[in-house]
Amino acid sequence: MFEELLEDIAQKNGLREVNTYLKLATGLGAIFLCLLSTSYIAPLFIAAFLTGAVLILARVDAKTYADLFLFPFSFAIMSVAGIILVYGGYDIFWQWNILPSFALSVTRESINQGAFVFCRVIGGMSAMIFIALTTPMTDIFIVLRRCRVPEVVIDLMMIIYRTIFILMDQVIQIFQAQVMRLGYSTWRESIYSFAALCGAAFIASWDAGDDLIRAMDARCYDGKFALLGETRPVERMPCLAVLVFLTLSTAVVIVSGTITII
Amino acid sequence: MHIMEGFLPWQWCLVWWIVAIPCLMLGIYQLKKILAKDREALPLLGVTGGFIFILSSLKLPSVTGSSSHPTGTGLSTISFGPWITAVVCAIVLLFQSLFLAHGGLSTLGANIVSMGIVGPLVGYSVYRLLRNTPVNIYITVFLVTALADIFTYVTTSLELALAYPAETGGFFSSFILFLGIFAVTQIPLAIVEGVVLALVFKYIIALKPDILIRLNIFSEEKINKARNEQS
Repeated sequence: MFEELLEDIAQKNGLREVNTYLKLATGLGAIFLCLLSTSYIAPLFIAAFLTGAVLILARVDAKTYADLFLFPFSFAIMSVAGIILVYGGYDIFWQWNILPSFALSVTRESINQGAFVFCRVIGGMSAMIFIALTTPMTDIFIVLRRCRVPEVVIDLMMIIYRTIFILMDQVIQIFQAQVMRLGYSTWRESIYSFAALCGAAFIASWDAGDDLIRAMDARCYDGKFALLGETRPVERMPCLAVLVFLTLSTAVVIVSGTITII
Repeated sequence: MHIMEGFLPWQWCLVWWIVAIPCLMLGIYQLKKILAKDREALPLLGVTGGFIFILSSLKLPSVTGSSSHPTGTGLSTISFGPWITAVVCAIVLLFQSLFLAHGGLSTLGANIVSMGIVGPLVGYSVYRLLRNTPVNIYITVFLVTALADIFTYVTTSLELALAYPAETGGFFSSFILFLGIFAVTQIPLAIVEGVVLALVFKYIIALKPDILIRLNIFSEEKINKARNEQS
């Protein structure tokens, strides 16, 4: 029912103390290279490299890591199936002309395209999950403020961030109480229980918001939250590792060119 | 339903960011204006964002075998209008990609357009149309939520079809195909979410109707009428 928040893992991961910019450069650079790549090899290379970094350096549990890919995969498989059916090509393996203007086919080109998109998703997801697992949101707020994101937006982000954790606790408690009272025993029952859970969560969050504004007023809130950030030095080893990773990946992107799977 | 990282080619990522950014800027402008007038709106907005996030981290009772997430933007649309909702949604989508690994960073623009802009715009128009008619509160909420959901999914299919047009029939036939593929999960989901949100409103009206009056979501007489029907 509930998903584990990656933030909890990020707060105590092995790369927590590495400079935030280095980690963001790794993740965003990897995403960028995946998008630029024209072959399925580079995204797979990036995925393998970053998975290694997450499992070995950040010491994230392998099962938790694998579970993260389940949800995007179900979406990816459905959409890639769509691409394979409509993409078309010359080397036709299977074809079905339903209407004059609507035909489904499986071709060499479409399989190549489908496999390529699927690998790009794996590469991109592993890069995003790398950022998610190694960089806590609190560090990202500081980066955003330095990047001149409007103050209002950052304030709003911080309030949303805080509310999420308050609500999460309450929702879990209510849910467990509902399960104990057989609230999810039948489908009809579970719709009612789920609605009651959402309604209770809304009212609870409303109260939390009211309390927050009162507390902030008492502390002379003037529209800007103080944000204390630690500046972590850029150390030589991590910096070198990031450079090696990005150069290697760029090389793979260039060398692999437009190699296809079949 | 979010498009995940790496699925769209970079050209389309860029296009959707270019569509999303002016809307977000309009939202930020409106946000600043509201906050200058009424500071209490900030925690309220934060709470709405937190609520949308929590909703999306819960899985709806299984609909078609797979479990899906409600989008929850209906509430924010009704209370603050579609543009501010776009900003809240952008933040929530960023959190979803970094907290739950749903969605993506390069595809964030495309997801903001479908979930934060088109869906809420449709929902808001339905709400404005029905607000001053005698249509029952629950039916309004159901329609707003279900239609916002359905249009979010139609937009997502559109984004996918534009990026991957079919060889025969071009954009249109791949649009139909993507619509068909996702209809299996998304249409029942939209209906269930509509029912759930209508029940949530029933719950709020029974326990704390003053919230709805203060937010100016429905008129007092409409809420009183709904309360009388309940009791």
